[in-house]
Amino acid sequence: MGPGSYVFERMQNKLAPLIFGLVFGALIAVAYGWLVRPVEYIDTSPDSLRVDFRTDYVLMVAESFASDQDLTLAQVRLAALGPQAPDEYVTQAIDYALEHSFSGADLERLNALAIVLRTLPQPGGIGPP
Amino acid sequence: MSRWLFLILGFGIGLAGGLYFAWLVSPVEYVETAPDSLRADFRADYLGLIASAYVSGGDLVRARTRLALFPDLDTATELAALAQQRLAAGLADTEASALSQLASALSQGPIRTPVPTVSVSPTPSKTPRPSPTRRPTATPGAAFLLTSRERICDPLLSQPLIQVVVLNAAQGSVPGQEVIVVWDTGQDHFFTGLKPELGLGYGDFAMTEGVTYTLQLADSLQPVTNLAAHECEGQGDEPYLGSWLLQFEQSP
Repeated sequence: MGPGSYVFERMQNKLAPLIFGLVFGALIAVAYGWLVRPVEYIDTSPDSLRVDFRTDYVLMVAESFASDQDLTLAQVRLAALGPQAPDEYVTQAIDYALEHSFSGADLERLNALAIVLRTLPQPGGIGPP
Repeated sequence: MSRWLFLILGFGIGLAGGLYFAWLVSPVEYVETAPDSLRADFRADYLGLIASAYVSGGDLVRARTRLALFPDLDTATELAALAQQRLAAGLADTEASALSQLASALSQGPIRTPVPTVSVSPTPSKTPRPSPTRRPTATPGAAFLLTSRERICDPLLSQPLIQVVVLNAAQGSVPGQEVIVVWDTGQDHFFTGLKPELGLGYGDFAMTEGVTYTLQLADSLQPVTNLAAHECEGQGDEPYLGSWLLQFEQSP
C-alpha cells in the first residue's frame, strides 16, 4: 500500500486528489526551478549590475572622460546602464561614493563628468528663444 | 481509478501553473549581477572601459582589481585579442590602443601588490593607490626615427610581414604606438604591444604579394617607403616570400 492510497482513503470526494496533485505538481515545479535547474545569471546587460559595480562602471567612464574629454563616448557608455538621463547615473554614483567614502580624486572625476553632462540641453526641454 | 486521474490532472495543472507563474507572472529579473555575467558584447565594452580608465590614471592595481571580477579571463592574451578585434571592426582606436597598453602592462609580470580575490566587491575608494606603475612610454614630443631596416628571410613565418619594433630613448619597448600602413589602393593601421609574447614594442602587418607599402608611425613624420614582400631562397631551391623588420627609436 503506497502513500497515495493512504491519502485516498481519507479523501471523500474527487476534489481532494485534484488539489493534492496540484500542490504536489507545483512543489515539483518549484523544486526543479530552484534546485535541479536554478537560474544562471548569464548574458546580462550593464543595467542589471549591482550598485557597487554600477558605481565603479560610472567611475571608469569618468576616469576615461577626464583623459580623453570625449563626451559623446561617455554618454554612449552611460546609456548602457539604462533609459535614465546619463547625468542621473553619475549623480547616483556620486551619492554612493559619498556614502562609502570614495577618495577625493574619484569624487572630483565624477563631479566633473556630472557638471559637463548637466550643461547639456535636456531632451524635451525648452530652449532659449 | 478516477482518483488517480484527478491526481494526475491536478499534478499537471500544478506543474503548468508553477511554470506559468515562474516564467510569465513573475519572471526572473536580472538584478544585482556582477560584471562576469555580462553578455559577450557588453563584456568586451566593459574590458575596453577598464583599459581606458587604466590609461587615464595609470593605476595598474586598480585595473587588476577590476579585471579580477572576470575569473575566467586570460587577461593579457584576451585583451590583446580584443584590441585586434576592435581594430578589425573599425571601432575606436583609442580604446584599442588602451587595451594594447593594458595588455602590455599586465604581461610585464606580477606586481608587488597581490591581486584581490574575485569575491571582493570593487570599492574603488578602498583600492590602494600606489604611484603609477612604471611602464615604458614614449617621451612626449620627441620624434621617432628609423634606426634599422632589415630584410628578413624566415621560413617559419606563414606569410610575409612588416615587423615593427618601437623603442623609447632609454631603449625600452613602447606599447600602444599606432603604426599606419598605406598602399596604392588603401591603408590600414595597427598598434604595438598587441602580441606581448613577442615584445611590448612589437607589432606586425601581413603583406600581400606584389603590393608595395609605405609605413609611418603616427607620432613620426618619417615615412618608410618601398616595403614589399621580397623573394628568399628556401631549402631545395624553392623560394618563398620574405619580411621586413623595422626598428624605430625615439630621439633623446
